[in-house]
Amino acid sequence: MRHIVKPLFRHRMMPLLVVLQVALACAIACNALFLLQQKLVPILTPDGVGHPDRLIVAWDMIPKGQPWPAPRLLEVERALRGIPGVAAVGMAGALPMTTNAYMNGNVHGDGLHAKGDTSVYIGDHLVDVLGLQLVAGRDFSAAEQATQYKNIGINDNGPTIITQALAEQLFPGGDALGKVVRIGDDADAARRTVVGVVAHLMRNKFGQDDRADIDYSMLFPGIPGNWPIPVFGIRVSHAAEAAHVRKAVKAIVQRELGTEMVQGIHPVYEMYGDLRNRMLARSKAAVWLLAGVSLIVLLVTVVGIMGLTSYWVQQRTRQIGIRRALGARRGDILREVRAENLLVVGAGIVLGMALTYAINLWLMRHYELARLPWPYLPYGAALMLLLGQLAVWLPARRAAGVPPVVATRAA
Amino acid sequence: MFKYYLTLALRRCRQNLPMVALLALTMAVGIASCMTALTIFRALSGEALPGISPYLYVATMDAREAVDKDNPDYKQPDSYVGLVDARALVDAHRARQQAALAQSLTTMGTADGKRSTQAFGLMAYGPVLSMFGVPLRYGRPWTAAEQASNAPVVVIDTRTALKLFGTEDAVGRSVTMGRRGFRVIGVAAPWKPRMVFFDLQRNQGNVQGQEQNFFVPAQAALDAGVGPFTSGECGKGSDIPKISFQSAAVANCRWVETWVRLDTPADVSAYDRFLSGYADAQHDAGRFAYPPHAGLYGTQAWMTQNHVVPDDVHLNLMLAGGFLLLCLVNVAGLLAARFLRRQGDVAIRRALGASKRHVFVQHLVETGLLGLVGGVLALPLTWLGLWIVRMQPVSYADAARFSLGVFVILLALSVGVGLLVGILPAWRVCRQPPALQIKLA
Repeated sequence: MRHIVKPLFRHRMMPLLVVLQVALACAIACNALFLLQQKLVPILTPDGVGHPDRLIVAWDMIPKGQPWPAPRLLEVERALRGIPGVAAVGMAGALPMTTNAYMNGNVHGDGLHAKGDTSVYIGDHLVDVLGLQLVAGRDFSAAEQATQYKNIGINDNGPTIITQALAEQLFPGGDALGKVVRIGDDADAARRTVVGVVAHLMRNKFGQDDRADIDYSMLFPGIPGNWPIPVFGIRVSHAAEAAHVRKAVKAIVQRELGTEMVQGIHPVYEMYGDLRNRMLARSKAAVWLLAGVSLIVLLVTVVGIMGLTSYWVQQRTRQIGIRRALGARRGDILREVRAENLLVVGAGIVLGMALTYAINLWLMRHYELARLPWPYLPYGAALMLLLGQLAVWLPARRAAGVPPVVATRAA
Repeated sequence: MFKYYLTLALRRCRQNLPMVALLALTMAVGIASCMTALTIFRALSGEALPGISPYLYVATMDAREAVDKDNPDYKQPDSYVGLVDARALVDAHRARQQAALAQSLTTMGTADGKRSTQAFGLMAYGPVLSMFGVPLRYGRPWTAAEQASNAPVVVIDTRTALKLFGTEDAVGRSVTMGRRGFRVIGVAAPWKPRMVFFDLQRNQGNVQGQEQNFFVPAQAALDAGVGPFTSGECGKGSDIPKISFQSAAVANCRWVETWVRLDTPADVSAYDRFLSGYADAQHDAGRFAYPPHAGLYGTQAWMTQNHVVPDDVHLNLMLAGGFLLLCLVNVAGLLAARFLRRQGDVAIRRALGASKRHVFVQHLVETGLLGLVGGVLALPLTWLGLWIVRMQPVSYADAARFSLGVFVILLALSVGVGLLVGILPAWRVCRQPPALQIKLA
């Protein structure tokens, strides 16, 4: 071991540069990959919406002055239901991926402590419209769907359907059906009885962070009152009919509400799949950017280590020749160069991990970023060690190929 | 001598082209990524209104007049107050200039109804044009008397004037807003701040400033049925719901914000005391339901507080900076290896009488040249990077434009990087004692 460690201290610059490179690469790649993982969360989380190519979303229609009263909106809904090819129509305060408004509440089971920051979707026929998969309980009854709230509805009592993830969070291991969920901490906070559980339903404000509660949502039946930005969801029976239904939806909404809208802001009528792609485009772009950066960082590091090691080997050709002449086998030389690389890269990793952690702490303080999960460190270390070995493969083979006769040549 | 070193450097570069290409490309990628992030950062930092915004401050306070059970805490400083309070603050004349304002979006038309256009503009109380330095092409701003008598007057910009009247000089004409005709008393040049800084709630999601097509006294606009874009926060006793759009029934809402111009730190602290005094007095008198926590925010602090520039912009700049650093270390290492391989040549030069300094300069010239090559390669890469950013669905995509300033920075950065990267290897190579090197060689 001594003959591996000692030269490192005699010629400090080369190993030092490798250490520095590995440390920097480690710090950049770990933090970039962590950011990337967070950006992936909303992309990879199932949103619960079935057949996105059959759902049309009409939104961003904004009434001038007073919100449209519920009866007006129900009339529009009826007209939309009359379009041939339509399977279900619903109106809601917001739907997944519509981002101009969202309703959130901190909810907990009645008498229980576990809480969840939950998105609330208030509207009628939402299970059918969104194509949600009911895993327990029932859908809302026709009477429940017909509720008209005086206000938005978030402070009213009634039934609710929640996601499996939320059920697990609020009532761990138990059956959520029939339990009461409360919105907010006040003594007179609204009480909602769970009548059904759906597999998934994504919240509509996912932001940029890796949230465990991205699948915490609940549905309330009925029409939110005094709500200025209604959203219509229209489900068609066959994807092939979507195009002409979309045109008809646009015509009806424009005819019914067009003149009362804020001029200059145009309503959007789009397929849910397109809406989802549009809303996630930023996250996707960031994922590509961060993946590209991480890849280039690692590539640059591998090339750097390779260049430095091959010089380092070339410098010591004579010494290697002497060692070979004195009886070292090719395998010994190969192992030595690799062990040396392991040592140097290892030192870089230790420094790099400290740097990674420090950068993460700094980012947490100045930006709204989460703490780096600890598994990143061992995985990052393993990756760097592997890359180090990969980079040293060629120079090591060249070193091992030095014939013993070199020792006999004059310097 | 310099020219000789340059030809020497060129010749050496030609000896090992793949290596040189690798070095230059590594530098180029580092420089280009840094330049891309820096271009966006530069476009989104600095003064929102050059020369003016550093002296502008916004007044914040918890001016809620009723207890809000769902939301009792005052977590974020709030700039919205009712028009009554905004008027009191402006009329107190405690700052050099002061005006209250709110973003509006409305339809403007000619009196005959033949032409109309959607226009963004400011409803204001106070001399907002002179405070923000909006340049007037024709006419004049409204007077205090016109404002006091709620006279229906308006200042429009040349774009709107052209659209409606076909001429820029529209002074004296009449435009219809809401239910009423407004006399045009002034025409401003097209104006928008570099970045959004006022009425951030109604300009959410924007980074770059919104062009303002008209400026109108707030009360006159309300009288005509023209309201702010959203109603702000409306308290009890108002017949309009929590959120509504373009409503002029905002008597019970907090919907305007007050900006003041303060030139010296002493003025700022004096105004801060005045503001706290005013707000506390309202609370003591029972008007404000909560302790008001009044505060003044400078333009930059207010923009930071409200995250106007997305965190991504800063994070990407740091990422790019870190990446450039890595590239530098990498290139320094490869260069050191390259130089040290030629120790024999250096030793002979030294033995023939070249001083350490000469050797050092010779190697720096070589790395400087490499830096320049890297910079030239970085130019198309930066252009490509900016093009990619422009294709992205981000609010600041428009800021990613190549400009002369960017080019100058890039040039300086690449030569600087080239020299910086060469210092360590050049120093290392000229430190060798000549005699030993000749023997080894």
